[in-house]
Amino acid sequence: MTYYDVPLLKRTVWKWYIPAYFFLGGVAGASSTLGLAFPPLRRRCARLSLVMLSAGTVCLVADLGRPSRFANMLRVFRPSSPMSMGSWLLAVYGPAAGASALLSSAAGTTVAGVTGVPLAGYTGVLVASTAVPAWQDASASMPALFTASGVAGAASLLMLAGNDDASARVVRRYGIAGLVGELAAAAALEAEVGDARPYRENPLWRAAEALTATSLLLALPRRRNRTREVLAGITGTLGSALVKFAVAQAGHISTKSHS
Amino acid sequence: MTVGFFTDTTVCIGCKACEVACKQWNQLPDDGFSFSGMSYDNTVSLGASTWRHVAFIEKPASSGEPDDKFSWLMMSDVCKHCETAACLEVCPTGSIIRTEFDSVFVQPDICNGCGYCVSACPFGVIDRREDDGRAWKCTLCYDRLGAGMTPACAQACPTESIVFGELVDLHERAAARVDALHAAGHTEAYLYGVDQAGTDGLHAFFLLTDEPEVYNLPGSPVAPSKTTGRAWRSMVAAGVAMAVAAVASARSAR
Repeated sequence: MTYYDVPLLKRTVWKWYIPAYFFLGGVAGASSTLGLAFPPLRRRCARLSLVMLSAGTVCLVADLGRPSRFANMLRVFRPSSPMSMGSWLLAVYGPAAGASALLSSAAGTTVAGVTGVPLAGYTGVLVASTAVPAWQDASASMPALFTASGVAGAASLLMLAGNDDASARVVRRYGIAGLVGELAAAAALEAEVGDARPYRENPLWRAAEALTATSLLLALPRRRNRTREVLAGITGTLGSALVKFAVAQAGHISTKSHS
Repeated sequence: MTVGFFTDTTVCIGCKACEVACKQWNQLPDDGFSFSGMSYDNTVSLGASTWRHVAFIEKPASSGEPDDKFSWLMMSDVCKHCETAACLEVCPTGSIIRTEFDSVFVQPDICNGCGYCVSACPFGVIDRREDDGRAWKCTLCYDRLGAGMTPACAQACPTESIVFGELVDLHERAAARVDALHAAGHTEAYLYGVDQAGTDGLHAFFLLTDEPEVYNLPGSPVAPSKTTGRAWRSMVAAGVAMAVAAVASARSAR
């Protein structure tokens, strides 16, 4: 028996800005890390990161109920709040990514490359640390999914640029790792949550998985083909972005049906 | 000093004096004058501008008498002021604090409306106000407590269904009430929120006579912080894999 079918939990107030930031921030982090690991791609990765980060920051501020108070995010250091940890992470990562892209700073590249790792994954911890059943139940697989999706998204966007052969090989490898990770983490998530229907029966989720799988198939052949590369980049980017929106959607569905 | 509410639903008469007193004292905006069709409950749920909510449950009668169609369950719901408070733990600005009364209070001058607490609360209590962009919930009448007064809802309750006091005294009083009800044959009476692993106990707890879900309360609420450790560990593992992937990919250029 439920109480007149009134949902027990409050609907998440986050608008589309937040899943958009999850994608943008994840790509920024994963791109910075590759830029540090593979110096020939440093400039390209740093530019991609800065564009993604800037757009993501706009999304974060725009979603606040009181955008003018965004600086309050750095008022306290609260380890129990993944959002507080993420704010501090952004406060370190942001200037470093800017210095790397605009000033070609080696220190900036290093700091952004290192902090890019948690930047790709902390948002998974953030959504798992809620009472939303489809998110809280996925506390082990969600951060892995978000990290892998960030890698897949960054590599996919880099595939769209005309890289030299050596760089293309690196981007392809990085992309395959991300795409495989994304598909594996998505399967693990479906197995981990008690009720997987908000995911399995969610068109966004299925589309994200289909796009990611398509991108993986296109990226697998070793011989370089520009058309295939571009198609893999497009499908991989869309899959990486859609999975974040699918997670947001699954959260809404599970909140509504929870009693 | 740890204070709280003991809400004894068996003596609630559904007068909604608590709702009115709360709205008046805290100068909360109205929620619109709409008809819900849910028995006498047109308030529907707790929210950003509704900090007390009286639930009306029409329970099928058990006596078997032909005229006896249903019996009432009425409960005045409120923020639970959890011992392990999800809203407070996730608040990134430090707007939500634990007061000297051990209640959970949102500082309106700090809150930037990030909305994290709304999704974190396992009871669906706190919400963001559309027009003002900030999160709001019961303050346990923090302003009144500071002046040595009783919260408005408890002050207004005519049947002492809502009792305010020190938590240890309330626990004692509630246990005695359950014993009395059991002795009178009402063995279904029990306390909700005194020993609750997922929240480590509620500072506003209830005496109920049916399953929690009947009152729209969660059967086993779990503060998100109880599962966050697993998520952080997963993030570290995935991060190591990501770094390895980046370094290994870079080597493939040679």
